[in-house]
Amino acid sequence: MLQIKNLSKTYGKFTALDNLNLTIGKGQIFGFVGPNGAGKTTTMKIVAGLLKPDSGQVYLDGIEQQTHIKEFKEKIGYMPDFFGVYDNLKAMEYMEFYASIYGIEGEKARKLGLELIDLVGLTDKADTYVDSLSRGMKQRLCLARSLIHNPEFLILDEPASGLDPRARYDMKEIIKELNKRGKTILISSHILPELSQMCTNIGIIENGKMMVSGTVEEIMATRGTASPLVMRFTEGQENGIEVLKKNRLVENVTIKDNSVSILFKGNEEEEAMLLADMIKNGAYVSYFSREESNLESLFIQITDHTDGESNEE
Amino acid sequence: MKINPVYKKELKIGVRTIKTALIILGYNGLLALFGLFAFYATFEYGSRYGGTINYTAVLELYAIIAAVEFGLVLFTVPALTAGSISGEREKQTLDILLTTKLSPMQIILGKLASSISIMILLALSSLPILSLVFSIGGVTFVDMLEFMALIIITAIYVGSIGIFFSCLFKKTTVATVSTYGALLFLVLGTFFILTAIVILKNMNAANLVNQSDYLYQSPKAGYWVLIYLINPAVTCFAVIEGQIGTGSRFVQFLRKFGTSSQWIENNWFFISVAVQGVLSLIFIYFSSRLLNPLKEKRGRRKGRKMGHGRMNKK
Repeated sequence: MLQIKNLSKTYGKFTALDNLNLTIGKGQIFGFVGPNGAGKTTTMKIVAGLLKPDSGQVYLDGIEQQTHIKEFKEKIGYMPDFFGVYDNLKAMEYMEFYASIYGIEGEKARKLGLELIDLVGLTDKADTYVDSLSRGMKQRLCLARSLIHNPEFLILDEPASGLDPRARYDMKEIIKELNKRGKTILISSHILPELSQMCTNIGIIENGKMMVSGTVEEIMATRGTASPLVMRFTEGQENGIEVLKKNRLVENVTIKDNSVSILFKGNEEEEAMLLADMIKNGAYVSYFSREESNLESLFIQITDHTDGESNEE
Repeated sequence: MKINPVYKKELKIGVRTIKTALIILGYNGLLALFGLFAFYATFEYGSRYGGTINYTAVLELYAIIAAVEFGLVLFTVPALTAGSISGEREKQTLDILLTTKLSPMQIILGKLASSISIMILLALSSLPILSLVFSIGGVTFVDMLEFMALIIITAIYVGSIGIFFSCLFKKTTVATVSTYGALLFLVLGTFFILTAIVILKNMNAANLVNQSDYLYQSPKAGYWVLIYLINPAVTCFAVIEGQIGTGSRFVQFLRKFGTSSQWIENNWFFISVAVQGVLSLIFIYFSSRLLNPLKEKRGRRKGRKMGHGRMNKK
């Protein structure tokens, strides 16, 4: 189990993490979601031992990171959002190099390397120079590399970024397979539909603070009533908007591509009353429906007040 | 015995690149050019136009080849080491290495050892050129071994400086320029510092005494001359001069700048190696500290305090 307690980190005047608390249970796939600059990468780097926090502690199965860094590192596998590879090194040699770091040498290293290369579907590329592999293949090789010492806990920072749909699908399947094999996984991604499909738990971070966390179902259940109501008008849109603005249950009116989207904190009866009120005030409503709640809408809802373009650390 | 994985990987990658082959070619090519020219000047030219061959000049020939080889070491090692860590950073492979079981010190030592190995390879490959002098005699095998030891020690010294700057700066170009700058300071800077001290002391003394007095001795830099202990070129001079002569020219050179003790002058090689060894250890230690992400960095401490202040206000 990973426990993050009161983690804070500042870069000059910029607060990247502000007393962040997070618990990831054994066997979970925890999706870490947040706008750029929210603190995802900083958190992951701190957990991986690449950054020193200003304050706070990280524990993995009760082992404190700062005081037992070597022991801690043996339990984690880290895959950054970039993939640094060495020129003039074949995929198999790349694996053997990292195996040798953990004292696995010779035939044993080769066997393990092949096993992992096979797991990520690169068997036929074992003797290919790493720099000649495609981006997706490099990503998969990097994932295989992070597994070389059989870590319990995997940190995957944007593992599917820049991949084509097929490579993304493959990556998703590999991650699911790893989870089946008992790995606990912390994963960050901007591709939210995929995250919701594979993650058991989700945490939404913003401005270095955890806004909400729990299982996907739990979060949806607590926020479900607030999923957006979308409507379209053939005539009298202004009248309709006027009605919406006056209604105390309406929040956040957004107009986009002839559609009006609102956050409506009311039940079905109140929805019907709202519709009737708009029609009565001269709005010709052609479409009126509550959107199905999903991770993306939840994410937008929670992070709506930010511009989402702050600096990534 | 378990070999450092970084060292093994570096050697594997190193021998596969054309760069290593070109370095060996350039190194030995230049050395051969100087060596053969000196050989020609000593024998061919002497016998044809002077009618005599000065066999004592063979030792000068050795001095020339050894000095050129030493110069090449000073020139090559920064190129091999200054990009070792910053290069990993640029290739984005450093973070991955740092998340493994390897300690920053192991990474540094692996990198340094691989650079020194290449330097040893260069030194060994140059033996046939250096052994030109064996065809006549005058230089012993022990002398050659001593010179090889000097090359390795200098490679460690300059290499540790290169790695330090490679850890300090993110860009390889900046690290390389800084390493050459530091080397320039060690070789020429120390010379200029001592020369300046001697000149300043002489200027002051000129106002006080009559220099025509036959007892007058121009003032020197005194113990400041010990600054030469960090100068690898002076160490090389001490070694070569000790091998081809009595070492008196080296003592004369030192005394132009100042006097220390006779014991230091006689044991200059060992003392300077010890000093440079200690400096190398210091550079390696600080390099590993710079590389350790969990160690407090000076520049960041200020920012952290600022951050805390802000949070407290909240």
